[in-house]
Amino acid sequence: MSLLRLRDVSQQPILEPLTASFQGGRVVGLIGPNGAGKSTLLKTIVGLLPATGGDVQVDGISLKKLSPRQRARFISYLPQSIAEDIPYTVAEFVQMGRYSRAPIWASRTTHHRLAVKDALALMGLTALAEVPLQHISGGERQRAGIARCLAQESPVLLLDEPISNLDVFYQLDILTELRKLAAAGYLIVIAIHHLEFALRFCDEVVVLKDGRLYTHGSVESVFTRDMLAEVFRVNAQLFVDPTHHHPRLSLAPLGANDSTNTGK
Amino acid sequence: MSRRRVTWTFVALVVGVVIASILEICIGPMGIPIRQIVPDTIAYVTGQHSTDALVVGAIRLPRLLVALLVGAALATTGAVLQAVFKNPMSDPGVIGVSSGSAMGAILTIQLGISATRLWARPVGAFICGIGVVVLIYRLATVRQRTNLYALLLAGVAVSSLCSAIITLILSLSPLQTMEEMLFWLMGGLDGSSWSEVLLLAVFVFASLVVFLIIGWALDIMLTGEEHAEGVGVPVQRIKQLSLGICALLVAVCVSTTGVISFVGLIVPHLLRGFVGSTHRYLIPASALGGAILLSLSDLVARMAFSPVELNVGIVTACLGAPFFLYLLFQRQRAWQRS
Repeated sequence: MSLLRLRDVSQQPILEPLTASFQGGRVVGLIGPNGAGKSTLLKTIVGLLPATGGDVQVDGISLKKLSPRQRARFISYLPQSIAEDIPYTVAEFVQMGRYSRAPIWASRTTHHRLAVKDALALMGLTALAEVPLQHISGGERQRAGIARCLAQESPVLLLDEPISNLDVFYQLDILTELRKLAAAGYLIVIAIHHLEFALRFCDEVVVLKDGRLYTHGSVESVFTRDMLAEVFRVNAQLFVDPTHHHPRLSLAPLGANDSTNTGK
Repeated sequence: MSRRRVTWTFVALVVGVVIASILEICIGPMGIPIRQIVPDTIAYVTGQHSTDALVVGAIRLPRLLVALLVGAALATTGAVLQAVFKNPMSDPGVIGVSSGSAMGAILTIQLGISATRLWARPVGAFICGIGVVVLIYRLATVRQRTNLYALLLAGVAVSSLCSAIITLILSLSPLQTMEEMLFWLMGGLDGSSWSEVLLLAVFVFASLVVFLIIGWALDIMLTGEEHAEGVGVPVQRIKQLSLGICALLVAVCVSTTGVISFVGLIVPHLLRGFVGSTHRYLIPASALGGAILLSLSDLVARMAFSPVELNVGIVTACLGAPFFLYLLFQRQRAWQRS
């Protein structure tokens, strides 16, 4: 059974009605050129933008009538960036993920403390727990954001471009962690610009173009030369890295002569 | 922030409130010895109205309690608004409620209603204060979302309009009425009564309870609205609730004491250095700090040029304006560094 189901979800005029379903234990990449509607789709799924139509279901339960607090128990969401001037420690920030589960007077009980401790440990942040967020690196801050989502104990994690502001070390680090979380049963949906990383780290891919669902499927079926040419306007060569055995992409801007061969 | 530092800050604040209270009651044109405070209060309550008992029970005690309550209200309002706006330079003035309430009170004085009906000035201040906040809020809310920058800009514009109307009324008023208006506009605690104490106590304590309940949500909103909504905070509802209560509280304060500025700016800012930005500490600490600041400011206002009594609003403005400039300077330096 699908863990996350979108039925004709729309956000007019930016996003046309979109239907798709996803199972747990997978990393789903949401790709598309700038302005395709990736962030809008994520915000609509999580309820930050009220959908102009359609329905989102998690585990068969419609999120339409739920309060923000109830909804947060099903889906956690991490925006594109975490501000540098947040005046809290890593542990305090991660503990905020317990908001939907614990009333203020119970947020420090053993169960909730354990959930925070586990989330910190899972993201390798135990040693930084009492360090102010202002004093850690961008990659560690992003880890703290994911730990906050984990403390929320929701089965679905939506991450809006979690690696876009990071150096390559942290990009690989975060994506590797996300794969581990998917292996533990979470459904991870990430908006991602880096096509090669999407190809390498995602199980399936949703492609958006001009606010419409272009295609959705396994990475192998979606990443075709035609799709890349038509959606991203690039001439692509797919190959396997002979050293690391990772799927790779060689990309070049689509020339004027190539545009005639992009029919799907 | 370490638990020990927070604990010691609260101990210091409670001691500060006690000391400020004793000073406010004992010092004045007619000195009251410390040991006489309790007997004089009991004498006043039991109806033995000696001169000392009257000074303590009918004048200094209600004045002290109004100072403590208004100080607490303004400072907690400042702390909450700074969280809602994510701007450490916000205070009750920014949402226009101070100028709106002032305009309402001035109107009742101008129309002559306040002279004949005691309730007219507070009610006028309250209605106009709330009216201005609702107007600003509606202007800044599109599709059920409130744009905080639009709210700030609308606040500035509507405040200016209210100030212009106040100036117009002042310039058209006869001299005697104008004096009464000016005196009230500058904010003062003289003539505080027990009925005002009761009114303020109800509003201040009820608001403090609500602020403490939504404190965690305010903490989370400081990390950004999208983050807050992501973890389940009903951001729009918390904004409405916070702004509504702040407006109510400030309108009640302004209708009682006139406009007292800068308390909401100074106190939370100073205390963040001691108790951190967690609102379950910052809100009660601000309440205590605001109480201390306003009662001591009132003492200065009463005694600095004795027997002439200044308005307490002049003292807080003299403290607050340089502090505001200092903050501005600090921020500019921070921007330059980044």
